[in-house]
Amino acid sequence: MVVLEKNEMIALAEKAVRVAIVKGVSEAEAYVCEDYASDVSIELGQITKNSQVIDRGIGVRVVVNKAVGFAYTNIVNDPVAIEDIVVRALSAAKASKSDVNWQGFAHKTSYVSVLEGTFDSKILEIGSDELMYMSQTMIDSAVQIDKNVIVAEGGVGSGYGSVAVVNSSGVCGFDRGTVIECSLATLAKDGNRVTPVCFEFDAARNCSIDPVWVGQEAAKLSVSSLKTKLVETKTTTLLLTQFALQDLLGHTLFNAIMADSVQRGQSPFKGRIGEKVVSENLTIYDDGLYPYGINTQLFDGEGVSRQKTLIIDKGVLKNFIYDNYTAKKEGKVSTGNASRAGYLSTPCIGTTNFHIMPDASSADDLIRQIDDGLLIYYLQGAHSSNPVSGEFSVVASPVWKIKNGDLVFAARDVMLAGNIFDLLKNVKIVGNNERQVGSLIAPWIVVENVRVIGK
Amino acid sequence: MQQVLLKAIEVATQKYGASYAEARAQKLCKTMFTLEEERVETAKQGIESGVALRVLVNGAWGFVSVGSFEDDILFTAVSNACIMAKTASQQLKNPIKLASAKVITDCVKVKPKKNPADIALEDKIQNFLQINKTIQQYDQRIKSCTVDYLDLIGSSFFVNSEGTDIQQDKLFVWSRITASAKSCGIFTFSREEIGATSGYEVFETQFPQDVGETVARRAVAQLVAKTPKGGKAPVVLGPSVVGVFVHEAFGHLAEADLALSGGILFNAMGKKIGSNLVTFYDDGTIPGAFGSFKYDDEGVPVEKTLLIKDGVVTGLMHNRETACKFGTQSTGNARAEDFRVEPIIRMCNTYMAPRDYEVKELLDGVKSGYFFKSFRGGQANIDGTFQVGIQEGYEIVNGEVGAPVRDASISGNTLEILLKVDAVGKDFVIDSGRCGKGQTAFIGDGGPHIRLSEVVVGGSA
Repeated sequence: MVVLEKNEMIALAEKAVRVAIVKGVSEAEAYVCEDYASDVSIELGQITKNSQVIDRGIGVRVVVNKAVGFAYTNIVNDPVAIEDIVVRALSAAKASKSDVNWQGFAHKTSYVSVLEGTFDSKILEIGSDELMYMSQTMIDSAVQIDKNVIVAEGGVGSGYGSVAVVNSSGVCGFDRGTVIECSLATLAKDGNRVTPVCFEFDAARNCSIDPVWVGQEAAKLSVSSLKTKLVETKTTTLLLTQFALQDLLGHTLFNAIMADSVQRGQSPFKGRIGEKVVSENLTIYDDGLYPYGINTQLFDGEGVSRQKTLIIDKGVLKNFIYDNYTAKKEGKVSTGNASRAGYLSTPCIGTTNFHIMPDASSADDLIRQIDDGLLIYYLQGAHSSNPVSGEFSVVASPVWKIKNGDLVFAARDVMLAGNIFDLLKNVKIVGNNERQVGSLIAPWIVVENVRVIGK
Repeated sequence: MQQVLLKAIEVATQKYGASYAEARAQKLCKTMFTLEEERVETAKQGIESGVALRVLVNGAWGFVSVGSFEDDILFTAVSNACIMAKTASQQLKNPIKLASAKVITDCVKVKPKKNPADIALEDKIQNFLQINKTIQQYDQRIKSCTVDYLDLIGSSFFVNSEGTDIQQDKLFVWSRITASAKSCGIFTFSREEIGATSGYEVFETQFPQDVGETVARRAVAQLVAKTPKGGKAPVVLGPSVVGVFVHEAFGHLAEADLALSGGILFNAMGKKIGSNLVTFYDDGTIPGAFGSFKYDDEGVPVEKTLLIKDGVVTGLMHNRETACKFGTQSTGNARAEDFRVEPIIRMCNTYMAPRDYEVKELLDGVKSGYFFKSFRGGQANIDGTFQVGIQEGYEIVNGEVGAPVRDASISGNTLEILLKVDAVGKDFVIDSGRCGKGQTAFIGDGGPHIRLSEVVVGGSA
């Protein structure tokens, strides 16, 4: 695998900024990305595909009369292409409109000297043979659980990514990282009964994933949801896993703490810093430097150092997350939360590793503390929540009924409805079994008084 | 362009013994902007060019994507793809085979009335700023409004080892308009999307200002809406909800790859799973619709596929691989978002065929229930459970549309719900949308107004 070196990446970004300044823009910024992904895919119980994607590109932002223009290209080895992209960014800026709130790109900040656990050279050396072996291990582990298990799809993939950002205000950064991931979707079929697709995965920045565990867990989950019963319509206690939490929070709470939502009146947290907004059992950080975190990076999409930001302290709202633009608008400093979809997009505010701090109870302890409730694994339709008000109305599946501290049966046709911000006020117990799903790092959580619509 | 692609394919078949090889090259230009209230967030222009190489060696796939058209890079890439396919084939029990497909040579040109490339970016921005102005001026309770705009113009080249050679223009225009409103601690949110493969003229037939007003009116009206009572109820669904309902509650299950992975339609051909009023199509041939094209990303002509006729399952959506497994022909549903990814089975324009009811007659039949007019997202699982969120809904009392309800949803299982369709309207609308299945696809969906005798309505009251 031949990757662009640090000096080549930075030189490319510097060149674009230089060309732009020569063309008379008042400010310029270039963001160069390189991504390698190697994947083995599983379909219908067997390995069927092996793929490799190499994607490189550069995105250039320029400012003319406080109007921002952006252009990108994935052709980076041609000097004319860089020139062309600057011209396009310039023409976009000229077609745009001056923004009175524009106060310049981010200035140079210092980065942490050592970032723990984001790059593992071993991942670069993994060949497709090894990815194949892990895939087969995962399939075998799943089908050994039960004869009714069907492996629907899945795969193992390794990736390398590097980024360089340079702007005319002195920012100049380079970072690189690795990731490896395996996932499996299984279902169980017995006669005419089919379970929902049950999904499990493991992802890490270093070579530490466990395909056996993933195969076994996905299979166990589907087999155990073969026989289901209906539950009553009532207001009850829920035990939410990380998958359910990520779905619910990702479309609501994440928006509510972003400074642009707050500034534009789209957040119920507007003007409430210092107030108790959720249960005192919740303490939450957004931690862009979290060791081994999936989204851990040296700097954000604008070259501002990633940081650990306290969002909620024992239920009290402490901070919002900012990018450079929204921070300057309030006379503040960016919290390093500018996120970018590679070279293709301009920065927008995003969470990094959204960390709900764990407490003492294990998963079993949590179940034992519930007299009557439901254990919720996955949700369907959380993206149709009202992102502003936090109201949701979703299907939960698979679901387990909890009675007197025990899991008693699997349930089907369960809907949950309510408001996520009310739900967060009713968080009763926070577990200790934390893991990362998407940007969320959290344990299981017990909430009370949620409306369940059953039979 | 075709010459270098053909050479790459030759390397695969002649040097590595690939039984099938294809090269798909794209040159795409995108123009985008986001408007937040009166602010232009950033105006954006992008170029994406590259080649996807896919080969079948010993019955397994190898796939490589590169952002380059240079000979030596493509030859290395295709060699890698072949070596990787060989590796993948080592433990294969059931080798992949492809259904036969016609060899096609064609050059497809788009002829938009208004080519977005001919309209200055400044004019596009000015046009859409009008929408935000309309929304903001509609009511002082409107707190924010956002317009996202995209146009994509380009060409794609497809050649395969069977002799198919297609050059096809690509053109998409799309816009999403959202608004939020707030009053007395109540927050509401409203969204509309416009999309077409015809040309920029779509923004002149559907007046942006009208769309702005629709979005604003809905956000404000919801401020006084109540949450619905959870439980079973009869409902009338508007075309926009019917479209998503067809897409989620049936469409995904009729994608042959999902049917094969244990989905409930695997053995359903010829089975009656819906009421006599249920007829669904997937049709990629509707001129200008957001999910229309001439050839799919395996070079197969797209079709109008009858999925259910009068409640009986009649077809699935196929690519060449699943068609072979089912002993049939591809329906032209293999689509790839771009050259970075492989084609997978996707819907085109999926809809329910109209029947003979007036909307009023549909409502007349409901004593106490809901009228769900506009959707907000939806999701399906392979076991037939689905959920469709509602962004605009009303109570129905004695056949009359009553007070608005907020943030409702409907859910159920496909095998039960399609039997509950008890009346179907005579009107017909197709909406533009986007569907996520690992990749994003531009799709259309729609139908007439319909009535369900009973469905689970999610609500917290």
